[in-house]
Amino acid sequence: MKVIDAVKSRRSTRSFEQRTLPPEMIQEIENAILHSPSGSNAQESHFVIVQDEQQLRLIKRFAPGLSGDPAAVVVLCSNATESLIRGGIDTAEVLRFVNLGIAAAYILLIAHSNDIGNCPVRSFHRESIKKVLGLPEEIEPELLISLGYADMPPRSKTSKKVLEVISYDQYGNNH
Amino acid sequence: MTSMETTTKTADQILEQLRDYVAYTLTSAKGLYREPHSYGAMRMVDSMERALHLLQEAGIKDEALELALSAVRKERWRAMTDPQGFGRAIDDSVLGLVVLSINK
Repeated sequence: MKVIDAVKSRRSTRSFEQRTLPPEMIQEIENAILHSPSGSNAQESHFVIVQDEQQLRLIKRFAPGLSGDPAAVVVLCSNATESLIRGGIDTAEVLRFVNLGIAAAYILLIAHSNDIGNCPVRSFHRESIKKVLGLPEEIEPELLISLGYADMPPRSKTSKKVLEVISYDQYGNNH
Repeated sequence: MTSMETTTKTADQILEQLRDYVAYTLTSAKGLYREPHSYGAMRMVDSMERALHLLQEAGIKDEALELALSAVRKERWRAMTDPQGFGRAIDDSVLGLVVLSINK
């Protein structure tokens, strides 16, 4: 699948088949993470790929936004300390979140291009997820991405009109 | 009609599901302080569904009640993208419950 096709056709999946992911798919996710760019090449983020049934259950318990029963969850974490050391103040304050957003997009598109349903989730209890995963103090969970085989076709997406979102050459210029 | 069926779940399994339910509801409550306004209705409906599922697992199921909730189940997907549509579905389910209450 071409990247542009993946971009256009990806939708959030909130209901999954009871089916595990093949090891190759996990490798693809690892590749997405490792090849994702980061500001100043700081590579300060950390990712926890969860497939263990009991761990998934505990994550779901404290993540109301996590719908369905995904086969895996990727927990995207920031690291303020390492951000400051490797990237400076701007990375510590802002870029570490931008970097995670870019990594998230890579993961979503790689998953979708392999026909794996996915959904980014922010509704979770941070401290609980931190405890469930045994994250060190300086590592903070920022976003979850659920992964699995969708058990129903995606719904259509409603987007704003292009002119509401994009300007040309100057803000508000529509042509 | 409310039916009592033989449960196939052990007490430990039901207890574990109860823990899922309590944690979900409590975590949802905390999330509402910072999450979009429309999430409140969605979390309440989801919490109710989980409670009904727990009762079902324990062998208690009310088919008339399930029928009254069909509208909100069908339109659940609108909760985030079309909150007003989801609101209308809740209305329909509430009206179903009114009919159920009057005819009881």
